[in-house]
Amino acid sequence: MVAVNPIYYIALPLFFAFLLPLFGKIHKELIRIVPGLLYAYFLGMSFYMLRHVFVTGQPYIVEIAGWKAPWGINLVFDAFTGLIITFISVLAFLVWLYSYRFKKVEFDNALKYFVLLMLVTAGSMGIVMTGDIFNQFVFLEITGLSSYGLTAYYRGRDGAEAAFKYLLIGSLASTFVLMGILLIYTQLGTLNMADIARNIHLMKPSLKIAAFLLLFMGFGIEAEMFPMNGWAPDAYSQAPGPIGAVFASMTSKAGLYALIRLTFTIFDFSSVSKLLFIMGLLTLLFAEGIALRQEKIKRMLAYSSIGQIGLIMVAFSFNTYLGVFAGIFLMINHALIKSLLFFSASYLAYNSPKKYIKDIQGFGKVMPITSFLFALGAFAIIGFPPFSGFWSKFYFLLAAAQKHYIVLIVLILSVSLVELVYYLRVVHKLYFAKPTGDYEPHSPNWNGMLAMILLALVIIAIGVYPDLVTHYIDKAAVMIMDKAQYIHNSLGI
Amino acid sequence: MDNILILKIAFIGASITLLFIGLYAVLTKRNLIKIVLGLSIMDNGLNLLFITMGFVKHGTAPIFSPLVMEKLKTVDAAAQVMVDPVVQALVLTAIVIGFGVTAVALALVLRLYRHHNTTNIDEIRNLKW
Repeated sequence: MVAVNPIYYIALPLFFAFLLPLFGKIHKELIRIVPGLLYAYFLGMSFYMLRHVFVTGQPYIVEIAGWKAPWGINLVFDAFTGLIITFISVLAFLVWLYSYRFKKVEFDNALKYFVLLMLVTAGSMGIVMTGDIFNQFVFLEITGLSSYGLTAYYRGRDGAEAAFKYLLIGSLASTFVLMGILLIYTQLGTLNMADIARNIHLMKPSLKIAAFLLLFMGFGIEAEMFPMNGWAPDAYSQAPGPIGAVFASMTSKAGLYALIRLTFTIFDFSSVSKLLFIMGLLTLLFAEGIALRQEKIKRMLAYSSIGQIGLIMVAFSFNTYLGVFAGIFLMINHALIKSLLFFSASYLAYNSPKKYIKDIQGFGKVMPITSFLFALGAFAIIGFPPFSGFWSKFYFLLAAAQKHYIVLIVLILSVSLVELVYYLRVVHKLYFAKPTGDYEPHSPNWNGMLAMILLALVIIAIGVYPDLVTHYIDKAAVMIMDKAQYIHNSLGI
Repeated sequence: MDNILILKIAFIGASITLLFIGLYAVLTKRNLIKIVLGLSIMDNGLNLLFITMGFVKHGTAPIFSPLVMEKLKTVDAAAQVMVDPVVQALVLTAIVIGFGVTAVALALVLRLYRHHNTTNIDEIRNLKW
């Protein structure tokens, strides 16, 4: 069928992003409408293709330019990558809806914003779908470069400083990834992930460990893993509001996907999951501890986001069906809920230049709906029923219990308590503190409100009726655990 | 040891030296421009390493030209003497990406300079480093 093809996810945003200035010449409104139409199309295509994959069990494999894998580059849209692509599409559409009237009067600035937004979605989707490890590096760079641009978007703030920091660490990450790729290529003579996975036992053990560590560190930086995530809070807080949601739901998820693919498919160590476990736990504890001390709302959300990434890594490191299931569920929930939090927080702190938490106190009365949505997001991410966050934490604890990690369960529950403290502090200030009166509240426009309400409805819908997503997560979990099936899908053997 | 092996080792040594020079510049220099230069040197070191890995003794360009085929008869024999084209393709891509990163980095340096009137990283500390 011509209308659905995984390659459109990459080709069309790249194509339209660079044509957007021309569209702007025809009519100014087109620079807003074209990305929206594209994202709406992706939304429909994702649901159609995901449904098709689930009904028939056949993944979509595209061999670019007719070169068969392992010689050419292939794109894989199976139960696992398809699910991630689908929720990236959902979030991309909602981010577009939220920022539809972004920079209404400044045409040039709006143009830059939408071009970079399209590039960052193309890059993230490419990282997730590609079956070629060098191609993944290229997409990592596309995502990285457009993220630097978005971080430095505002001239007035310290965006350039945050972006430069991000660029330094990002370049280090790409050097690591490239060295890892070189080691693998010199040993195995192939770049296709399935082909590498098939032959990985032929590598010299010492070089295999070196290659793994280089790739793990490189993609870990993009996924905001522990020692190298100093860029994340600055980038989140300096970028425009909706871009915080993009970082939380797309770029970090793409990096996380690369880590998962690396540990579950490409490399064959049994001790890899231990490394994932330790790094995940360190990330979680470090980030949640720092989030508690944050005075600025966006930095707090950023650290909370890093903490969630750590939790997801721990879930995947169990290496059991239930753990992977919980991990994917956490990924989806984190993308949805953190986006809602970023959306509502950036309206709450709209007129406050420094975005201190104390600047928004008492806004519960002047901005009732936005405050309510923020509170809803806060409760959802802590894991209260009836929100979707409850189920993912529930499955996580179930997976930990199955492995008899009693200490871990206690630890996760106490970390949740820390989360409870810092989120409730904000909610408390919103509703029960007197307004300082220093900053005028800025009421959201209709499209921003619509995006937030849609997100909140999805969060409640999944919370009340988790079967909406669990069937898909179930198949995705089976898929990522099955290395042989991935190799079969990519190479046909 | 024959000359080719020495050459190859020299190239590997040179590229690793370049990598470390770049890394040293990125980690210790306080001037933003020098940091960007360090990144660029690191990229180049890595690119050189890639090319060295595809090197073949007495290798020719990876083109199955009539001249080569006439001399060596079979495709397999011809492939034996050719340098690896894949690493060269990879390096071409990596060079372009490195160029893009350098351009963006310099643009950011320019923005920082206009904002803070300095290129010293120690004086630009509105955010925690």
